[in-house]
Amino acid sequence: MPFEELEHTADVKMRITASDFSLLLAESGFALSQVMYGKYKREPSEIAVSIEAEGTTPAELCVNFLSELLFIMETEYLVPSAFSLTADETSITGTVSGIPFERGKHSGGIEVKGISYSGLTLTKTNTEYELIIIFDI
Amino acid sequence: MNENIRRTGPVEWEIPQGFVSGMRVPGRFFLSDVLAESIEDGALTQLGNVACLPGIVKSSFGMPDIHWGYGFPIGGVAAFDETEGVISPGGVGFDINCGVRMITTPLTEEDLTDKQGLIDELYEAVPVGVGAKSPLRLSQKDLTKVMEEGSSYAVELGYGMTSDVEHCEENGCLSGADISAVSDKARKRGIPQCGTLGSGNHFLEIQKAEEIFDEKTAEVFGVSAGQICIMIHCGSRGLGHQVCTDHLKVLEEAADKYGIRLPDRQLACAPLSSKEGEAYFGGMAAAANYAWANRQFITHAVREIMVKRFGISYEEMPLVYDVAHNVAKHETHEVNGAKEMVCVHRKGATRAFGPGCAEVPSVYRAEGQPVIIPGSMGTSSYLLAGTNAAMQQTFGSTCHGAGRVKSRSSAKKMQTGDEVAASLLEQGILVKAPNQAAIAEEAPAVYKPSSEVVKTVAEAGLSRIICRMKPLGVIKG
Repeated sequence: MPFEELEHTADVKMRITASDFSLLLAESGFALSQVMYGKYKREPSEIAVSIEAEGTTPAELCVNFLSELLFIMETEYLVPSAFSLTADETSITGTVSGIPFERGKHSGGIEVKGISYSGLTLTKTNTEYELIIIFDI
Repeated sequence: MNENIRRTGPVEWEIPQGFVSGMRVPGRFFLSDVLAESIEDGALTQLGNVACLPGIVKSSFGMPDIHWGYGFPIGGVAAFDETEGVISPGGVGFDINCGVRMITTPLTEEDLTDKQGLIDELYEAVPVGVGAKSPLRLSQKDLTKVMEEGSSYAVELGYGMTSDVEHCEENGCLSGADISAVSDKARKRGIPQCGTLGSGNHFLEIQKAEEIFDEKTAEVFGVSAGQICIMIHCGSRGLGHQVCTDHLKVLEEAADKYGIRLPDRQLACAPLSSKEGEAYFGGMAAAANYAWANRQFITHAVREIMVKRFGISYEEMPLVYDVAHNVAKHETHEVNGAKEMVCVHRKGATRAFGPGCAEVPSVYRAEGQPVIIPGSMGTSSYLLAGTNAAMQQTFGSTCHGAGRVKSRSSAKKMQTGDEVAASLLEQGILVKAPNQAAIAEEAPAVYKPSSEVVKTVAEAGLSRIICRMKPLGVIKG
């Protein structure tokens, strides 16, 4: 599993790992959508929305990307099935695609209010990236 | 308890300057021995961090429901000098003007012959949970009025009574709202969500006033033993969350620009008189007003159901009061023997103004401001009254709720949602939510006992306990 929930009293703390930075952002996007919608089946995409974000550091880029994704999911009622992203360490562009929110299928989660800098760490080893991030609920 | 923390009274504790490098004032918090067992070191460090911010006045305060939060601890109160001080979104939180209100009804428990039917109908009438859309069709112009006028605009549209507005903190409208400080993104999130409950710890609850502690004040507040009451807990929805996100970015840069040394990045802030600080205040006030309107729209939806089911009138369901518990406000308080305007941040804390304060509605003024403290699904909520001791000690502030002690993941390991619901049913409490996980995550056992929290603020003199309300039916988002 590329992401897992860690212990946190008030909010949701996630650990996300991936072999490259673009994939890390995509998996962090799925971590966010799973918190919001519960575990759901990634169905063939029906809608796609452009997404872009910038940051002065890779960690800040992660926060800004997820904040932008949160905005898209909430306003487009989009449940992500796939990400197509091109990223360097300070910017990202691409698309998030998925299906429209359906109450019967996607009501297993909890609203996320914001993406927190609290306890934010991004580390890179020879083989993978690891992001620890808190979603404020 | 950390050895550097000093006990100064039965429930009073002090964090000395130096506990965190750069503290300008001490930290003070209120905990009983029972609550002290669950205090997190991180929350105390956060109290110390807040004490480092420029212009902080008197102390950085923690209420008995304190726990680790974003920047400020939840349950944190801090006031800042208007000239030297700062404003920080970390002192308000993502959910600007998350708050709670309570209406009374002429009903008793015997009148609730079909409690499940009532819960089901309320659940349909008030959109809850992720992805919920409001039945309201607000235009952009409506949204602007909501942000400028708060609950009174909802009443103007026909969703309530004039007395509702009078019984809200700040009359349901914080002055200084600046619509230009609210982004298009925030507006886009706000339009479809106005009139929705949200999720997490937000709820709509049917309660019974079970125990009256002060008959005289309870009568003034319009509450009597056995009466059915309804409590609504929610905030500014995606609009407020986006306002916080947008301004956090700006204030992070502003802290550098104004040479403010931050012990924690989450305390991003700007001088109150700076353009960045003023813009945040304006956007936050607009979101706070949205939250008051949001609770007003929901109140109306609830009253409509009650009128239809029980044949009672809207006037028979008055709003006792509505309090904000995530907000920053300009208020006048006594500082060093003189009245002074300060910017009070309450983050998971409630205004609790004492008797005689002009800000308290005239009908309640002799008793002090009503303060509503929600419990958890299985534990009681409380109606308190503000005191003059709170005015003197904590800038007229008290606790806001039970305070979480266990994570959501450990909650789900303890009991399933079905088990929690069954246990509550044994106590006569019905619960309904979009998913069972939401019920498990909000199980009563994951919160501090609300009775101990209110007992502590009463012992500290910050509030008087007026009434205890038992939950009968709960809708969780």
